[in-house]
Amino acid sequence: MRKRILFTAFFILILSSFSLAKLGDMVFDGKAESRKKAGVAPAVFPHGKHEEFYKCADCHPKIFKDKRGANDVSMQKNMSGEFCGSLECHNSPKAFPLYECVKCHIEKKAGSK
Amino acid sequence: MKNLHIIKFIPGTILAIVLAISIGLMPKLVTQIIAAEPAKKAPAKAAEPAKEPAKAKEKAPSPTFDPKDPKSILYMDTKGNVAGTGDPTKSGPASEVIKMGAGWHPAALAAALLPKDRYGLVDWARAVKDNIIAPRPSIDPSDDELPPMDMNVVIETKSDFTNDVVYPHYIHTWWLKCEVCHPAIFVPAKGQNQMTMREIVEGKFCGRCHGKVAFPLTDCVRCHVQPKKAAKK
Repeated sequence: MRKRILFTAFFILILSSFSLAKLGDMVFDGKAESRKKAGVAPAVFPHGKHEEFYKCADCHPKIFKDKRGANDVSMQKNMSGEFCGSLECHNSPKAFPLYECVKCHIEKKAGSK
Repeated sequence: MKNLHIIKFIPGTILAIVLAISIGLMPKLVTQIIAAEPAKKAPAKAAEPAKEPAKAKEKAPSPTFDPKDPKSILYMDTKGNVAGTGDPTKSGPASEVIKMGAGWHPAALAAALLPKDRYGLVDWARAVKDNIIAPRPSIDPSDDELPPMDMNVVIETKSDFTNDVVYPHYIHTWWLKCEVCHPAIFVPAKGQNQMTMREIVEGKFCGRCHGKVAFPLTDCVRCHVQPKKAAKK
């Protein structure tokens, strides 16, 4: 009996994990030196939130290479229409504009750099 | 005994698989519903501007609607009702409301061939530079007009990647007097105005006008023009 329950639980876990898999927040913490000068926190990208509205192929691999660390994102590139600032994204009326710095560069209240 | 155990076990497993699949599919269905929502909204938004040419057809039944043709202008009153068209032979002259300047319609601006920026907003600075408009210096004819001051100020950005800002005094002094900005908004000394984009967004410095009466902050590269490497050389 116990074996059966365990088996069932295991099955549910395996199957549901395939479609429930949502990436959480991704932190872009590169360019630390430049960010320190500018006084901004690392950018937090809510991947799950974007998954709700877009398909994977909308961004990958055209706008963002789907590999961690493979995208050299900078605000200059965003401004000129790459990455987050792509013409259909945060450089258009569809999404909030790039100048709303703290919407992405979320400052931690305690122990922030 | 062993066989009996298997018989008991099989329906349980099938039930578990079905249950697991249905649970697994649930979020997918939910996300599909969520994803479908913006798609529904998009055509609704697209339909809104389409109403205006449709109304134009009602009033002035021309087969083609050319926004560059002044006769295609559709004047609306402040409540959104058609107050007249640019072609008085078809609809009669525009209403009193229009004549008084109380109402206007975006099509009127389009017909005036005013230059637009890449966000579709009227580029007033270019309208002046291209001699499309020539506003008077003052309502009072006896007022003296100071010539514009041609002086660019480079405002270095704090980060290593973002382009520096080149602030043109010329177009600003074309519109404004010195006292509008100095010394209340900007200290008139180089390097004395330590500003951040955050402060500007909050309505300080450039944000006192830009985003309110002047072009919004959306178009970053309109001010951030000078690459960092060029500045170092």
